[in-house]
Amino acid sequence: MPTIPVLETKRLVLRGPEPEDYPDFKATFTSYRARFMGGPLNAYESWMLYAAEIGHWAIRGYGMWMIHDRKTDETYGMAGGWKPAKWPEAEIAWIIWPDAQGRGIALEATHMARNYFYEKLGWEGAVSYLDPKNLDSIRLAERLGATKDKDAPSVDGNDVVYRHPSPEKLRGSQLADGIALEIESYQNPLFQPKGYAID
Amino acid sequence: MTATLTNTPVLETERLTLRAPIPSDIEPWVAFLVSDRGVWHGGGPENGEGGAWRVAATFAGHWLLNGFGLFVAMEKATGRPVASAGPYAPPDFPEIEIGWSVWSDEDQGKGYASEAAKAIIAHCRDDLKLPSLVSYIAPENARSCALAERLGAVLDAKAKRPHPDDLVYRHFGEAA
Repeated sequence: MPTIPVLETKRLVLRGPEPEDYPDFKATFTSYRARFMGGPLNAYESWMLYAAEIGHWAIRGYGMWMIHDRKTDETYGMAGGWKPAKWPEAEIAWIIWPDAQGRGIALEATHMARNYFYEKLGWEGAVSYLDPKNLDSIRLAERLGATKDKDAPSVDGNDVVYRHPSPEKLRGSQLADGIALEIESYQNPLFQPKGYAID
Repeated sequence: MTATLTNTPVLETERLTLRAPIPSDIEPWVAFLVSDRGVWHGGGPENGEGGAWRVAATFAGHWLLNGFGLFVAMEKATGRPVASAGPYAPPDFPEIEIGWSVWSDEDQGKGYASEAAKAIIAHCRDDLKLPSLVSYIAPENARSCALAERLGAVLDAKAKRPHPDDLVYRHFGEAA
């Protein structure tokens, strides 16, 4: 029977959303942090969306993973694929809990998820539907090599469409090396202090 | 975690097979949820197809979160999915609820909701051993109120309810 695949990166483990992860999800989706994701939601809407994130896997065979720390298992947010009814194309989406931002976690998780969709599921491309005011996510889309596609249909006219590079454009490219290098610098900062000078 | 619902129970009634949802149920389920009658189940025309799809996805995810959930009823004679019914347990509901819906207008009036609900109520009591089971029904949903009464549920005026206007019909067990 197909299972939700577990993906591992140097710092992260991506697993299907589990019941015990729900409080972390609820905390973010009932907060102002969720303003670009249709939130803040009330408690019931938040639970419905969480169940729907899992149902999406059952219906589509792919979906959003919960991002965990490899060492502590702490959750940092979600990343993966999203295509509910009325979505023009399959989307690559992400949300990072407010406390976990600024550490390259979304980049590392989303890059891994995109590779999985391209290399294992055979996707030929993907988009991200972003709120034009969501500057952090627009910046992440650009770091992932996505570019604004003014001609692509959007979800409801209030979002901008960023088109991800195709698998051919990404495979073995300078762009892919750049993304890997940036992730590497979060995992192991190039300029981290190695000790103090003694004279 | 499995993305496909496995090891889920299958219940048989005279005319229906009741099983957990499968991906091909989503299209007819969404068509029902987006209709006027879908408004009692979190859908309705105002929420559109996108909203209806998410409700159906919620019902599918419910099985993986709780280990039980809404069954889809297949008409044995044709193999068509015709209705859904089953226990629903969002964390902020005072008790576990059973809801039911017959998807298309043509299949109404055949007693399918009643046949499915009877088998599922017994399953909730005898197999799942749920402590109690109620139905929260809007008073203007006369058809569902009548079915709750035919199923032998009793109005509980004192029980807590998710929305102040809901009626609480108790199938078994005591108020939480």
